[in-house]
Amino acid sequence: MDFLNLFNLLLAVPLISAAIIGLFFRRGGYVAAGISLTAAFIIACLAFMVLFDWNGTTLSGPEYSYTWMQFGDFQIDIGYYFTYETATMLAVVAFVGFFIHMFSVGYMDDDKDKGRFFAGLSIFMFSMLGIVLSSNLFMIFIFWELVGFSSYMLIAHYWDKDYAAAASKKAFIVNRIGDFGFLVGIVWAYYYYGTVDFAEMNALIASGDKHAETGIGLLLMCGFLGKSAQFPLQVWLTDAMAGPTPVSALIHAATMVAAGVYFMVHVFFLLTPDVLKVIVWICAAMAMLAGFWALGQNDIKKSLAYSTLSHLGYMGTALGLGFPGLAIMHMAMHACFKATLFLCSGSVIHACHHEQDMFKMGGLWKKMPITGWAFLLAALSISAFPFTAGFFSKDTIISAAFGVGAETGDRSYFAIWIIVLVAALTTSLYMGRMFFVVFMGKPNSEKAEHAKESSLWMTVPLVVLGWILSVGAGWFVWDIKWADGEMNGIIPADTAVFMMEGYGEAMSNAEDHGHPIHHGYGGGWDAAHHVVKETGFGLLLEFASFVAMLAGFVFTFYYYGLGPKSDRLQTTMPIIYKMLERHGWFDDVYDWYVVNVQQRFANLLSVLDQFLISGLLVRGTAGVAGLFGMVSRSLHVGNIHGYVYWFLAGVIIFGAFALGVLK
Amino acid sequence: MISEPTLLLLSIFVPLSAALVLFFGRSVGNAGVRLIAAIGFMVPAVIAVYLWMGFEGADKSHMGYAFMGAWDTGLRDSVGITLLLGLNGISMPLYLLAGIVGLAAGIHAMYSQAERLHLYMALLLVMQSGLMGVFSSIDIFFFYFFHELALIPTFIMIGIWGGEGRRVAAMEMTVYLTLGAMLSLLGLIAIYGQTGWDTNYGFSLIGLQEYLSQHPIGDVASDNIFALLLFGFGILVSLFPFHSWAPRGYAAAPTANAMLHAGVLKKFGLYGLVQIAVPLVPQGAIIWNDWIVWLALGNIVIIGFVTIAQRDLKLMIGYSSVMHMGYIFLGIATMSVVGIGGAVMLMFAHGLSVALMFVLATAVFNRTGTYDMKAIGGLGPKAPVLAAFFVAASMASIGLPGFANFWGEFTVFIALWENHAWAVAPAVFGVVISAIYGLRAASNIFFGPQSDEFKQVSSHREIGDITLAERAPATILLLTLGVIGLWPMGISQSIESAVTDQAVFEQAPIDLKNSASLDAPEETTVLQIAEEASANEQGDQPL
Amino acid sequence: MTIELNDYLFVSGLLFAIGFFGVLLRRNTLVIYMCLELMLNAVNLALVAFSRFHNSMDGNLFVFFIISVAAAEVAVGLAIIVALYRKRQTVMVEELAELRN
Repeated sequence: MDFLNLFNLLLAVPLISAAIIGLFFRRGGYVAAGISLTAAFIIACLAFMVLFDWNGTTLSGPEYSYTWMQFGDFQIDIGYYFTYETATMLAVVAFVGFFIHMFSVGYMDDDKDKGRFFAGLSIFMFSMLGIVLSSNLFMIFIFWELVGFSSYMLIAHYWDKDYAAAASKKAFIVNRIGDFGFLVGIVWAYYYYGTVDFAEMNALIASGDKHAETGIGLLLMCGFLGKSAQFPLQVWLTDAMAGPTPVSALIHAATMVAAGVYFMVHVFFLLTPDVLKVIVWICAAMAMLAGFWALGQNDIKKSLAYSTLSHLGYMGTALGLGFPGLAIMHMAMHACFKATLFLCSGSVIHACHHEQDMFKMGGLWKKMPITGWAFLLAALSISAFPFTAGFFSKDTIISAAFGVGAETGDRSYFAIWIIVLVAALTTSLYMGRMFFVVFMGKPNSEKAEHAKESSLWMTVPLVVLGWILSVGAGWFVWDIKWADGEMNGIIPADTAVFMMEGYGEAMSNAEDHGHPIHHGYGGGWDAAHHVVKETGFGLLLEFASFVAMLAGFVFTFYYYGLGPKSDRLQTTMPIIYKMLERHGWFDDVYDWYVVNVQQRFANLLSVLDQFLISGLLVRGTAGVAGLFGMVSRSLHVGNIHGYVYWFLAGVIIFGAFALGVLK
Repeated sequence: MISEPTLLLLSIFVPLSAALVLFFGRSVGNAGVRLIAAIGFMVPAVIAVYLWMGFEGADKSHMGYAFMGAWDTGLRDSVGITLLLGLNGISMPLYLLAGIVGLAAGIHAMYSQAERLHLYMALLLVMQSGLMGVFSSIDIFFFYFFHELALIPTFIMIGIWGGEGRRVAAMEMTVYLTLGAMLSLLGLIAIYGQTGWDTNYGFSLIGLQEYLSQHPIGDVASDNIFALLLFGFGILVSLFPFHSWAPRGYAAAPTANAMLHAGVLKKFGLYGLVQIAVPLVPQGAIIWNDWIVWLALGNIVIIGFVTIAQRDLKLMIGYSSVMHMGYIFLGIATMSVVGIGGAVMLMFAHGLSVALMFVLATAVFNRTGTYDMKAIGGLGPKAPVLAAFFVAASMASIGLPGFANFWGEFTVFIALWENHAWAVAPAVFGVVISAIYGLRAASNIFFGPQSDEFKQVSSHREIGDITLAERAPATILLLTLGVIGLWPMGISQSIESAVTDQAVFEQAPIDLKNSASLDAPEETTVLQIAEEASANEQGDQPL
Repeated sequence: MTIELNDYLFVSGLLFAIGFFGVLLRRNTLVIYMCLELMLNAVNLALVAFSRFHNSMDGNLFVFFIISVAAAEVAVGLAIIVALYRKRQTVMVEELAELRN
C-alpha cells in the first residue's frame, strides 16, 4: 500500500468508527467499546506500517493532497505533510492512543453511556491524526477546531453534573479565544506568503524571498497558547479534569494539549527571535508557577493537571530556546509518563469508587502493586531521575537554558535557567507528595480500605506505558540500533530522528532563517547537548538538576509523612495553601469578567437595542403614523351630515382655488 | 421525460396548486391534508435535488444560466416582462436550499398541532411556491413578485398561529418588510429605467446585464440606485440597525413559518445584492462599501453581544441569525470572487442551520413548556438524541468545521483581508461571541442538573426523546449540513463557476483598492457629484 | 311677457337650493334621497333651458343620461333604504352612525 492510501485510511478508520457507533450503537455498551478499540488498534498498526516503510524523505506536495474547496485561486487542500516530526507525533498519538483506549474499556465498565464516550474518543483520534498529518495551515485549523469539539464533548461526559457542563463550555470558549488570534494569523500568512502550505512557506523563507514576520508568529502563537493552555489561556485545563480520567490522560495530557507544541514546531520557520523570546518567558513562568499550584490541590487529577501545565511550559521553553527537536522530545516523553500518571490515578480512582481526594486514599501500594510501581516509575521519570525517559528531555531543557545564555551572552537566559530549575524542584515536590500520600501509609477512608488492583484492561496499559516506556523511551539517545536499523532504543528509529537532530541540515544555514545561531545545529537533543558542552559546566548543570530533584523527594518525605489524613501545609500555613489552591486567582478574574463585564455589557447592549432601535426608532415611527391616524380619525364622525359639510368645505376650497382666490 | 424548464415551472406550480386544493379542502380530513401537502412539498424538493445533480453537466451557454425556459404572460411586448426561469451557479444552491428547507418545514408543519391544519398547510405551500419561484426567476419582475407571494403568508400566519406578542411582532415585521420591499422595488425599477425601458432587453437579469455591460450607469445614479437596493434589501435581511423586526418576529412566528422565512425567504435580499445590485451597479457598491462593512460589523459585534444577553431560546436564535447576516454582508462587501463565493456558501449553510435550530427549539419547548433557557437544565439525560441534535446544530451554527457554515465563514474571513484587513479582527472575534452563546444555550438546556422549574414540569409529565415527526426534518437538515460540510465542492463548484464568470468580481476588488487610496479627502464630494452630474447628463436618466 | 333664460335658471337654482338644504337639514334618509333627486332635476331643468336657448341638442342628451341614471339610482337606493329599514327599524341618519369607530 502506498503512503497516500495509508494516510487516507488513518483518517478514515476513526471517522467510520465514530459514525458506526453514533448511528447504530448509541446504547451499544461493550460493542461500542469494541469498535472504538478495534479502530484504535488498526490506527496503531497503520501508523507502524507507515513508520517502518518510510525511508526518511519528506512526503508533501500535490501528489499527497486533494482539493477540498476552491474559489478562484483560493483553495483549501486536504493534504499530507510527512517528515520526521510528523513521524514522532504519529507514533505518540497512535501508540499511546491505543493503550488509553484499552484502559478505557476497563475504566468505563460501570458507565452507561459507553457509546457516547467511545464515539467521542474516535472523533478525537480522527481530528488529532488530522492535525498530525495536515500539510497546510487551513487544514490544521480545521482539525484544530475539531479536537476542540471532541475535547468539549468528552469533558461534558458526566453532563448531568454542573461542573462538567461549566468546564466543557469554558474549555471550548477559551480555546476559541486562542483560535481567534490563530485564524487572524492564518489569514495574514495567506496574504503575506501567498500560500499556507508548510513545505512551500518553508521554501519561500529558505530562499530568502520572504521573511518570517513577528506579527504572524505572535498571532499563530495564540493558537498554541489556547490549545496548550499557556498563560493567559491556561484556565481551562484544570477544569477540564471534569471529564473521565482516560480522557484527561489522552486529550488533556498526552496528545491534544501537546498539539499546540507540535504546531509551533511545524511552523518553527515562521517564528522570529522576538516571538521565541515571548514564548520562552511565558512558558518558563508557567512551568514554575503551575508546579507550585500543583501543591495546593487535594484532587489527584487537578494536581496532575497542573503538572501537565508545568510540563507544557517546559516544552514551550525548549521551543523558545530554539530547540524544536527537544520540545518534541519532551512532548513524546511527557506523553508516556504523564499518560501513565493519569492512568494510574484513573486506576486508583476506579478502585476507590470515584474518590478523587488524595487524602482519603493512602496505603494503596500493597493493595495495587502494579499501579503503584507504574506510578513510582512514571513519577521518577517526570522528575528526571537519571536514565529514565524524562531525564533525557527535561534535564537537557534545563541545562540548555543555561547553555544558550552562555552562548549568546544574554543574561536573561540565566534567569530562565533558574526558573526552570525551580520548576524541576516543584516537580519532585508535588510528585513526592502525591506518591507518599496516595500509596504509602494506611488507608484513610472506607473506600481506600476496599481498593483492589484493577483488571487486565487497565493494568496492561500501565505496564506498557509505565514500566517500559516511562523508563526506557529516552534510551535512543545512546543510538542503540537494531532490527535492520528500524528500531532505536525501544522506539522506531524514524521517530527518534527529529528528537535527536531537529531540522538537521535543512536548518543549518541559520542566516536564511533569521534565527540566532544555536539553530545552526538543527535544534534537537544533539544541538542542545552541544550547546551545554560548550559552556564547560555540563556535569555541574546535571548535578544541580539532580540535587533539585532529590531535595524535592526528601523534603516531601519528611514534610508530609506517609499516608497523612490531611495536608500539613493546609493546616499549618493556610494562607500560603490558599494562594496555591486559587492558583493566582486567574479563575476568579475570569469569572468576574464573565459575570460582571461581559454579561453586563451584553445586557446593556440588549437594553439599548430594545429601547433605542426597536423602541425609539421603530415604535417612534409607528407613533408618528399613529398620531396622524388619530387626528384623521377624529374627523370621521359617522354622521352623513358631517360628511356633507366636509364635502362642501372641499368644494369651496377647490372652487376658490379654481377661481384664483387662493394663490 | 419532462424537460428541465418545465420542471422548474412544476416546482412552482405544484405547491401552488396543492395550496389551492387545500384552501377549499376543509372536507378532506387531516390525513388527506397531509397527503396533499406532502406532494406539494416533495415535488419541489425532488426537482431541486434532481436539477442540482444535473447542474454540473447542463448547458450553461446563456450567460451561465441552465435549464432556461420562457413563458409570455402578455407583458412581454408592452413592458418587457416574461416569466423567464432558469438557474445559474449562484441561484442553484439557493434553489436547492429552498427545496430542502421547504420539505423539512413541510414535514414539521404536517405533524404540528396547528388548528385549521388545511389552512396552515395551504399558506405554507403558497410560501414554498413563492420561494421556489424567487430563486429560479431570471426576470426581475417575477423575482420580486414571487418574493411578495411568499411574504404575505408570513404575516397571516404570524397573525393567526403566532405565539406570544404576535400582534406587535407582526406589526413591526409588516412595516419593516413592506418598507424594505418598496425601497428595493424602487431600486429595481430605477435600474430598468437606466435602459430607457427597452423591451428588447427586457426586465430580466440577462437583458439588463447585457445592456449595462455596454452602457454602465453613471456615478450619481449608481450611488442612488445602490443606496435604494442596499437599504431596501438590507431591511429585508435585517442589516444593522434595521434588524429589530427579525428576532421578535421569529419568536412569535409558528415554527414552520420561521424556518421558511429565516432560512430561505430572508436570503432574497442577499441574493438580490449578490445577483443584481453588485454586478449591475458595481460603482454604487464601491461607493457604499465602507457603509456595508461598518454596518455588517455592527451585526456581528453589537448584535453578537445582544445575543449573549438573551435568555429566551427563540429570541437567541433570532438574534444569532441576525448576527450571521453580518458575515454574509462582509462577504458581499469584498466584491471579490472569494468573498462572494463565501457569502453564497454561508447563505446556503445558514438557511439550513437556522431552520434546524427552530425545529429543535420547538422540540425543546414541547418537552419543557418554556423557551426560557435558565428555567430548563438537565434535559440531556432525558432526551439524549435531541441533545445530540441540538449540540450538533449549535456547533454547525457557530461554524465548526465539518458543517457547511464553516466554509462560508472561513472564506469570508480570507476574502476580507484583501481590502479591509482591519475588519478581519472584529469579524473573527464574532467566532468567539457565537461560541459563547451557542455553548451557553446547549449547556443551560441540556447539561447540568435540572432547574427547580423544570423539576416541577418533569414531575407530572413524561419527557420522551425526540419523536419521529421532529427527527425527520432535523435529520434532513443536519444531513445536508454535514454532507456539504464534508464535501463543500458539492455547491462551491457551481458557485465558483458563476462567480468567476462575472468579470465584475475580478475587477471590483481592484477598483475598490484604488478608490480607497484615492478618495482620502472626502470634502470635495458634493462638488464632484455636481460636476459629474452635469458631465453625465447625457448618459444618466434622472431618477 | 316672455319667459327668458334667466327665469328658467332662477327656478332651477331655487329647486337646487331647496334640494341642497333638504339634504343638509333633513334627518330622514328617504327625504334626503328625494332632495337629492330634486337637485338632479334642477340641473336637468337648467340643461334643457340652455339647450333650448342655444339651439343645440347637447343639453337634452345630457338630460336623458341623467334621467336614466337617476332611475337606476332610485331603484338601487330605495332598495337599500328599505333593506336598511327592515334591519334597523329606522331611517334616521343620526341613528345610522355605524362608521364612527
